[in-house]
Amino acid sequence: MSNLYDLGALEAHRGINQGDFTAEEYVWSIIERIERIEGKVHAFITLNKENALDDAREIDKKIRTKEDAGSLAGVTVGIKDNISTHGLKTTCASKMLENYVPPYDATVVERLKNHGAIVIGKLNLDEFGMGSTTEYSRYGPTHNPWNLDYVPGGSSGGSGAAVSSRECTVSLGSDTGGSIRCPASFCSVVGLKPTYGSVSRFGLISYANSLEQIGPICRTVEDVVTVMNAISGHDPNDNTCFLSRSNVPYLHIKQERAPSSIAIVKELIDGCDPAVSRTIYSALDKFKEFGWECTEISLKSVNYALPSYYTIAMAEASSNLARFDNIRYGFSFPVEGFEWNTYISNVRSNFGEEVKRRILIGSYVLSSGYYSKYYLKARQLRSLLRQELLSNFAKYDLLVGPTMPVLPFRIGEKIDDPLKMYLMDVDTVLANLAGIPAISIPAGHSNGLPIGLQLMAGPFQEQKLIDAASLLENVINIARSPEI
Amino acid sequence: MGLVSKDELRHLGWISRINLSEEEIETFHHQLDDTIKYIDVLETFDSENLTLDYLEVHFSNLREDKTIEFTRDLIPKSSLAQEGYVKGPKMI
Repeated sequence: MSNLYDLGALEAHRGINQGDFTAEEYVWSIIERIERIEGKVHAFITLNKENALDDAREIDKKIRTKEDAGSLAGVTVGIKDNISTHGLKTTCASKMLENYVPPYDATVVERLKNHGAIVIGKLNLDEFGMGSTTEYSRYGPTHNPWNLDYVPGGSSGGSGAAVSSRECTVSLGSDTGGSIRCPASFCSVVGLKPTYGSVSRFGLISYANSLEQIGPICRTVEDVVTVMNAISGHDPNDNTCFLSRSNVPYLHIKQERAPSSIAIVKELIDGCDPAVSRTIYSALDKFKEFGWECTEISLKSVNYALPSYYTIAMAEASSNLARFDNIRYGFSFPVEGFEWNTYISNVRSNFGEEVKRRILIGSYVLSSGYYSKYYLKARQLRSLLRQELLSNFAKYDLLVGPTMPVLPFRIGEKIDDPLKMYLMDVDTVLANLAGIPAISIPAGHSNGLPIGLQLMAGPFQEQKLIDAASLLENVINIARSPEI
Repeated sequence: MGLVSKDELRHLGWISRINLSEEEIETFHHQLDDTIKYIDVLETFDSENLTLDYLEVHFSNLREDKTIEFTRDLIPKSSLAQEGYVKGPKMI
């Protein structure tokens, strides 16, 4: 170990608890790292330097007085900037919320703090989580640590890049159609989208309520387990978070794993970049070496998944974002000279281009005459897809495929073609539509660019994902952090 | 012919309360048309005997909103906030 900022969550926590170094020394190490490389990566929107140092001193005090400092004591966590943080700006990377300071913590933030974690800052994203590259941020794009000219994925691009570049120990992202797994894949780190309903969304600024979940992005599977055990479980403030905390499966890293059955989904691997498919098949061979049974299957409803996903997501976006009128909070824009509707129409033209496109399409598919043609049909297809996936989970433990069908690409390369961007989400949206858990784990590199493998399991079967991801992590040693 | 005309796009802007410039109308017109043509594949799917599953129903069955006691400090620090009130645009 050469620098404190290299440490994972468990190592940092252990070092602080054992007195090898203080929480303050650890946080200083992270801050110095941020000051040195943030100008190149641009992962953060807001830094929380002074508060983080104060929190670290509190942790050190607890450790000195032998108080329980928590399972994440001293661990620095970056929070995607669409998750509410008490007293710390939460902008959603939008002009519409550029001055918004939440009066409360999201449940996930509160739980991390209760476990001793230290919020180091708020991380960049595509505006309101709408995008797959983090180029649609009002604060400018985040750069992929593996090649600074390339996109880090999105929408939680800041969360992926900050963890990969060791600007924070772990981070939280949100995943509506792949927004945790895509940056995890593009930045060579581990990202978990939990089962819908296992992690509270209270305090997450909604984009598409029926699809999105908050989840961890970390450098190791072990750190994902630690963060998940801290944040998951019932929250009375989120009625869709229905499992009581005592019923949420406690995740752990097993030393012995029984062979499982894996099915590779033909439709997910057909048509993807040859370097990506080679890497996925090579990873499958590793599972086979351990006696795992691997089968190829076809899912007939996959071809309708992406149009269903975008119909539902955009419909929910148009409804959720209707609340932003710039009156209670927002940017400075005087009301004089406007009547109600023209004022709101004028200020709302300050949404970014991608947000406007999604609101407009959402309004279209919910319009009279189109509701049953698009929105209702998309919901029916979501039910069919879910049934088809569940019937496969009765036969196989896990479904597998690439996380992204393409390698990371240059910043600006696809930004003028929104449909081309949407098509990249083809492999990740299944888990959101069906509400099932999915993990992206580094599987290889091609020309220095990371490739992620995606595993999906039945509802609340996160442990199966952890078992498989942990096995793969042990047998293929894929670098998580480049030199910058 | 496209699925969304420029006039329909202007109307969508109005019902969404978003002012669209002529330049945006020109750009969005093509982009929205491409996307709606893409999702139009949904029409080819026969959903006559398909029902919504448990989760779909569950999502619609949320708790009632509960009120909390109002205090003036709940008013955000908006540039339109004055002396514990928020000044809005005129209604008529």
